[in-house]
Amino acid sequence: MIEIKLVVNDKPYTLEVEPSERLIDALRNRLGLLGTKEGCGEGECGACTVIMDGKTVNSCLVLAAQANGSVITSIEGVGNRRSPHRVQKAFVEVGAVQCGFCTPGMVLSAKNLLDKNSKPSNEEIGIAMSGNLCRCTGYDKILRAVKIAAEEGKE
Amino acid sequence: MKYFQPYSVEEAIEIAHASESTFLAGGTDLVLHMRTGKAQPSGLIDLGKISVLREIKEVDGFIEIGSMATFAELGNSELVAQNAYALWQACQSMGSPQIRNQATLGGNLGNCSPAADGLPPLLALGAEVHLISQEGEEFVPLSTLLSRTPLLGQNTLIRGFRIPITGWQSGFSKLGRRRALAIARLSVAVAVEINGTRVENVRVALGAVGRRAFLSESLGRELSGLELNGAWLEKGVLEVQQIVREALGARASAPYKRTAVSGVFREALASIITEGGTQA
Repeated sequence: MIEIKLVVNDKPYTLEVEPSERLIDALRNRLGLLGTKEGCGEGECGACTVIMDGKTVNSCLVLAAQANGSVITSIEGVGNRRSPHRVQKAFVEVGAVQCGFCTPGMVLSAKNLLDKNSKPSNEEIGIAMSGNLCRCTGYDKILRAVKIAAEEGKE
Repeated sequence: MKYFQPYSVEEAIEIAHASESTFLAGGTDLVLHMRTGKAQPSGLIDLGKISVLREIKEVDGFIEIGSMATFAELGNSELVAQNAYALWQACQSMGSPQIRNQATLGGNLGNCSPAADGLPPLLALGAEVHLISQEGEEFVPLSTLLSRTPLLGQNTLIRGFRIPITGWQSGFSKLGRRRALAIARLSVAVAVEINGTRVENVRVALGAVGRRAFLSESLGRELSGLELNGAWLEKGVLEVQQIVREALGARASAPYKRTAVSGVFREALASIITEGGTQA
């Protein structure tokens, strides 16, 4: 076991992890943050996306030990039922959620885009969301929700 | 399994010398291979905390790229966009945003997949690889390194790359089954030295055609010293198809790739030659 220090959703943690343990396992099994979903487990689908030091990563391809010293935002740190993030609000309004499995990853990719670029073009939105697969919606409503969230942020 | 997280290159190669450990770069391939059992390292040397390995800078007429520079960092680098356009293009299209944020150029070479997106551009741009171990350090042309088996000694660290700033123009294109997240089925990188209307020198590299990416010396010879026009492009298309034919032989994918390469070759040149065959 090795000791790592992380800040997750603004809270500092010191964890003992296995060298081969992935970040997604540490988040789900050690911290009980079950909002991060494992889809394909091989970096193709983006369901396990978290923001690590200001960048989106697939938490199934990052070892927990690699994240030592990092600041992580998972879906639990983005918003909640009472005060949803504007991306989450837009997803609900537009109906961009069907089965919901891809949604946490989608929301984190969109949030990270808007944190960096408050006025993204449609192309920039498309690129930012290109690492997140959805097998239900056909993407149209997801992209529309991100656009709406971006418009709202401009005010 | 042991896990090391050194803060300097010296420390990293010392650990490599003293243990049978594997270097861990971004991990987007290795973490997966460990999970499937394809890789079973007895220890890992995580290079992620060595900040000098992330540098991308201009030094004495070269672009120096640390092995831990990510595809996202390279794709955001003005220096790379200006002087190594083919590499810049490859870094834009590799994987997905999440993969580009994590995957590194050094890891791309260390893993050395036949379809590694970073290697054809580096080959076309004449890149050298900076290797370091306890025995010393050396710069090896990437094309030479890729002909070695095994690629690297167990204790040898890929310190980085250097690309000569030559004023050559370059371009890259790949064929995947969809735009994002697709492993290249075929990739082409081209670099040309243009003098007026003449193509003085050419380097063409292919990826996902055979075991490792390679530089085609014969193609470079055939296409050098000619006028840059439509006829040159068509000659290039025929020649590159011949190269793919020779490289793939009777493999099942050969007829497909032989035909597809003509389109990928044209696309790789799109940033260099505008429609109608004149210089961009």
